[in-house]
Amino acid sequence: MRHRILIAGLAAVLLAAVGGVLGLHLGGSPKTRTAETSGTSSATVLAHADPLAASIARAQKQLRAVPGDYTTWASLGSEYIEQGRVSADPTYYPKAEGALRRSLALLPTGNEPALVGLGALANARHDFAGARDLAQRVLRADPYSADAYGVLADAQTQLGYPSEATDAIQRMLDLRPGLAAYSRASYDLELQGRLADAAALMRRALGDAVDPADIAFCRYQLGQLAWRSGQLANAAAEYAAGRAADPAYIPLLEGQAQVAAARGHTAAALASYAELTARYPSPPYLLEYANLLRATGHAARADQQLSIATAALRLFTANGGTDDLSAAQVALAQGDPQQALLAARREWSRRHFADVADALGWALHQSGDNSRAITYAREADALGARNSAFLYHLGMIELSLGLSSDARRDLSAAVSLNPHFSPLDAPLATAALHGLGQR
Amino acid sequence: MPTTRARRRSTAVAALGLALTAGLGTLAPTAAHASSHREAPLIAADPAVDNTDVYAFVSPDRPGYVTFIANFYPFEEPNGGPNFYPFATDAVYNINVDSNGDAKPDAVFRWTFHNIDNRGGDTFLYNNGPVTSLNDPNLLFRQTYTLQSSFDGAPFRTRVDNAPVAPSDVGPASMPDYATLRDQAVTTLPGGWKIFAGQADDPFFLDLRVFDLLYGGHLNETGQDTLSGYNVNTIAIQVPFRDVALNGDATRNPVIGIWSTAERPRVRITGKTVTSSTDLVQVSRLGNPLVNEVVVPAGLKDAFNALPPDQDASIAPVVARVKDPEVPKLIQSIYGIPAPAAPRNDLVEIFLTGITTKAGGPIKADLNSQLNNADVNPSAFRPSEMLRLNLSVKPTANPNRLGVLGGDLQGFPNGRRLTDDVVDIELQALEGAAQTGKLVSALAAGDGVNANDHPFGTSFPYVALPNVGAVNHGGTTGNATASSAVSPVQPAPTPPAAHNVNAAPVAYSSRNTLDTVIIATVGGVAVALAALLIVGWLMRRRRPAAVTAPGQIPLPPAAASGPDGPTVQA
Repeated sequence: MRHRILIAGLAAVLLAAVGGVLGLHLGGSPKTRTAETSGTSSATVLAHADPLAASIARAQKQLRAVPGDYTTWASLGSEYIEQGRVSADPTYYPKAEGALRRSLALLPTGNEPALVGLGALANARHDFAGARDLAQRVLRADPYSADAYGVLADAQTQLGYPSEATDAIQRMLDLRPGLAAYSRASYDLELQGRLADAAALMRRALGDAVDPADIAFCRYQLGQLAWRSGQLANAAAEYAAGRAADPAYIPLLEGQAQVAAARGHTAAALASYAELTARYPSPPYLLEYANLLRATGHAARADQQLSIATAALRLFTANGGTDDLSAAQVALAQGDPQQALLAARREWSRRHFADVADALGWALHQSGDNSRAITYAREADALGARNSAFLYHLGMIELSLGLSSDARRDLSAAVSLNPHFSPLDAPLATAALHGLGQR
Repeated sequence: MPTTRARRRSTAVAALGLALTAGLGTLAPTAAHASSHREAPLIAADPAVDNTDVYAFVSPDRPGYVTFIANFYPFEEPNGGPNFYPFATDAVYNINVDSNGDAKPDAVFRWTFHNIDNRGGDTFLYNNGPVTSLNDPNLLFRQTYTLQSSFDGAPFRTRVDNAPVAPSDVGPASMPDYATLRDQAVTTLPGGWKIFAGQADDPFFLDLRVFDLLYGGHLNETGQDTLSGYNVNTIAIQVPFRDVALNGDATRNPVIGIWSTAERPRVRITGKTVTSSTDLVQVSRLGNPLVNEVVVPAGLKDAFNALPPDQDASIAPVVARVKDPEVPKLIQSIYGIPAPAAPRNDLVEIFLTGITTKAGGPIKADLNSQLNNADVNPSAFRPSEMLRLNLSVKPTANPNRLGVLGGDLQGFPNGRRLTDDVVDIELQALEGAAQTGKLVSALAAGDGVNANDHPFGTSFPYVALPNVGAVNHGGTTGNATASSAVSPVQPAPTPPAAHNVNAAPVAYSSRNTLDTVIIATVGGVAVALAALLIVGWLMRRRRPAAVTAPGQIPLPPAAASGPDGPTVQA
């Protein structure tokens, strides 16, 4: 029995690896399952069904037979958004929009489900202001819509209104406690630096998770919470459990790469990043990959990853997208603080989110404007979680301003929170602390 | 659009000269993925607390006892993994009974589930050998439950701890005699209560395609039980009448209202500490089949499901919708059957008060409103949506699948039996059969599904054993030895219904009189009843992970030009 499980699991990994090399999305059903069939053995291996995929298949069949079924069009649209999220395959988003707009065309008024779906889609596309508008529109008609509060919470968080986001999440918790509300509440607490509370709520969410992708999501977040506290073994265990539930859930690869790098397993970490970025070449993943390459002496390959990130952003922008946060971060990694500053300022004009404040502060620092930089770095720390990267940036800016005591405090906090927070920056933080007479 | 996207992609790739063609193919604008943009599930499947159906009926094999059944977790596929489908352990499952009509529960039966997990590190193994009893050590993961009860608002009292749950049936190789496991999962308590929790065949039977007519589909492709082969998680309880009747007197007070709820603890994040209190949030509610999703406008659906029944009457838009429902108008547009004139105070009786002459409604019959209980305080009565059952209607020797419309007062909408064919009842009523006094022959087949694909049991908990075969492909329940032990419900060992027509405290001289009244009046409202009920089934059935139910049911454009519907005049 165990051998068969192992073989099935291995096949899944191999399949994923091959798919990664070829950049394939493994067809329309990206999830590979380690399922065992019953009836021939008296032992039974558990595997959850894939309710999302099953529901999508049912909806598609229904709509082929009854194309006027606006209800199913709306739910299919929302399910496509979920599928796009869990499979990291954005080609689901145009499909989602098509289904949702079809539903609205069939039933233009009183169609809150389709509007909630469009709101979720706007968030997925980073149109946070648009998502907020849609959510508020739904809530005027249906103040009990937990889903609309979820869309609203996501938008308010990203737009930099943490208090409003918390209120929306509390309404969601009051209306329909469950995985969707718990996971948002967990993120909200994490952003307040309450990592233990965040982990407890994510565990509660995990208890309600049924879909393998939802289990993988919760495991990934638990892994990230452990990672941010420097708990490598706990993080690794969560990622492994996540992959066991859903080997196709891509973010788990990032988590595993981070842990491998922290443990000094550089080859394994680089392989994970290679697979990750081949399957989903998004700027944040490429940036992490480049950082590890640079930290391990592969400068040319690091530059190559940053070039890909630039191309990805250019493509994104050419198609009407907006992600100046990533643009600023890529420019910083490329040593172009002027471009980074322009991009960060543009993003800051749109939303006062902690990550944007951090990028803007660091771009100012790299441009030599430390007196302005510290304002944003402090804001990032004040807005955000106990984040090692933010604390490192703040500490280095303080150091540049001669605020030795503050720098010592914040750099120490960055390193003690997670000594492995970045293969490039963590050693610099340690070195700076040495220079300050610590350690 | 695809052309533009493809051209730009090739430009970018050429510029970089990188072998990332396939990867960049994903970089549409939708590919945005900011490092800090946490994308959490929004419509996460939560089937464990998803209530599919509620049944309430006088036990045919046990005079003086009533049985309540609530099913959760739709669309359990027996062969999709294999899978197991646990009850939620962070929720409570309630069956609520209102005997005095104030829309607040006078009796609550509460299930709280616990896991016993002996899998150690190997969380993928459900059992490691044949499971021949509920205590078999080969069964590595199992659940138990605590059953509590509360009467008249008193604190909950634990009736039993560690009662066993019938496990998910993972097939004959692992569970060679599932019927034995089922039997062991029936617990008998002092006072004669029987309780059960575990997997069962979904007892609901219908062809889901019947609802396509509301989206412009036709009835020409029905006749298949589209829920065939799926399992559900069942909770069931059988208690003496006296434990749920007002003042313990089911003779003077035979009418009760029933609804189920699932609740989770309230979590607060706005304070300095995260709290998870004993205060519970209702996440699921069900009384009449799907009425809570269909009667209520979209903008109030979530409110309705979040609120307790005693607030139903205070939601003016809900009452307004009951009195002036959208669906009959839709039916009129498609099929030419005139929608009965508003305000529909008859529907108020059906959904909010029970059928009674004591609430000023138009139906001249007393069947199943708590207002007809002799000891009720009428001034405390509160209209609310729940399934209502008159316990004094004795089980009939020959249950009619058409229930009240078929002259069988023991059936839906007087409570609901497992065998009641609510879809056909409503379809016939929809087409005016009740008003004309004749079934509409063109629709005599209804949805073509007249009974469940598996026979129900003759004794508690009545539901059929779980399916183990492929869904909709002739799956079988339990196993051969088990199915022989389960035969159709036999005539109850009680006198025929014809001699037991004391349906309510209001006396009728003969069965025929009552039947006539009931059919004429209940049937008269049935067109709209059907219209109201019929739309929403799919919200739960077809899409277990669905977002929300439809709200208003205006006519879809495709249907406006219209299928050639029957032109039966009501």
